[in-house]
Amino acid sequence: MTGRRLHPFTLLAIAGALPALAWILPAPAGGACTVAVALVLTLTPGASPGLVVFRTALLTAAPFWVFLRLLHDVPTTIAIGLRITTMVASFVWLAATLAPDRLVEATVARGWSVTAAYLFAATITAVPTLRGRARRIVEAQRCRGLSPRGSLGNRLRALRALALPLVLSALHDVDERALALETRGMVSGARRTPLAPPADSAVERAARWALLAACVAALIWRLK
Amino acid sequence: MSIRLLALIPVAAAISLALSAAVDAVALPLFLDTTGTILATALAGPGVGIATGVVTSAVNTLRNPTFWPFVVVQIIVALYAWAAARAGLFRSFRTAVPAGLGLGVIASVTSTPISYLVFGCTTTGGIALTTALGKALGLSPLGACFFGSFVSDFGDKAVTFALVTSVLHALPRRTAARFPWALRAIGAA
Repeated sequence: MTGRRLHPFTLLAIAGALPALAWILPAPAGGACTVAVALVLTLTPGASPGLVVFRTALLTAAPFWVFLRLLHDVPTTIAIGLRITTMVASFVWLAATLAPDRLVEATVARGWSVTAAYLFAATITAVPTLRGRARRIVEAQRCRGLSPRGSLGNRLRALRALALPLVLSALHDVDERALALETRGMVSGARRTPLAPPADSAVERAARWALLAACVAALIWRLK
Repeated sequence: MSIRLLALIPVAAAISLALSAAVDAVALPLFLDTTGTILATALAGPGVGIATGVVTSAVNTLRNPTFWPFVVVQIIVALYAWAAARAGLFRSFRTAVPAGLGLGVIASVTSTPISYLVFGCTTTGGIALTTALGKALGLSPLGACFFGSFVSDFGDKAVTFALVTSVLHALPRRTAARFPWALRAIGAA
């Protein structure tokens, strides 16, 4: 089964359990096992074409190894490096497989507050929009002769000239978004009907509980 | 929570994550990743500020997973910003910048144990390099870790407070009045 077909809660459970186990289990063996599982997940067909997710995970984790070696001896570098790589690979895989709209549908289907899912999904969709706007503001201010280089004071003034229009324009969007939410009946306590709830099989539910049990058991074993 | 405040949270979180484009343009060693949290708190109070901080960390985690454990810092930033807003410290740069410097110290004290215990002080390249500098200066591992966090946080939070003050003063009064805390934060109510 590819990552995209799994229930969003299962994806979150796997991405949460792997780093937890990496930190709980004794290093370096525990970290080596969890990093192997996490890297295999990034190779799952359907996560992204080719080796994109696997490569992204390795490239994101690589600088941490360099800085760890700069600051620590070899055994500590390996112990912490394997944990961080597990965390990075798990979340890179999660970001590639978790569709925000499916997460919203899953929380609605479960009867949870739609607010939390809305906040998460709305932020994910707002970031690229605001980043694009920020780039346009930078270009526009440069066309008007703004120089973002030179002394510290000059750079701070340039930062203000770039950041202020972005933040103010984003705040003006709040009213528009509030109106859109009200129009769609987004009031607290309202029960919503999911349009296409993701399938949540008994096997997946059992797997999520098993992951939680594994983390608790590992923690108890380590604390003994 | 009103719909307007609910709509403010993702916008404020996205501001924190989008400001990196402006920071890259001026090539300053700043993060400004708490701007949205501080702004949301100054506009709408601690509940909205904390929610903004948590959402910012959650979404940032998808880009760089090492951000998640630092969600505690976002919550402390929101609580500190609330105290600053209640005291009207956003009324001018003269009050906002020292308040930001104070937050820099608190944020680095909070983030140091997380950075040290969980990541061995290697959360971002800049902090790792300043930690290495602290180590080269003869500081203990924990001291070097604090040095790295302090160098990055101290100026960053002062600039963030100054930027939020600029935004609050640039907001039209009619717009500011729609948010429950905005006028009090700038000392106008």
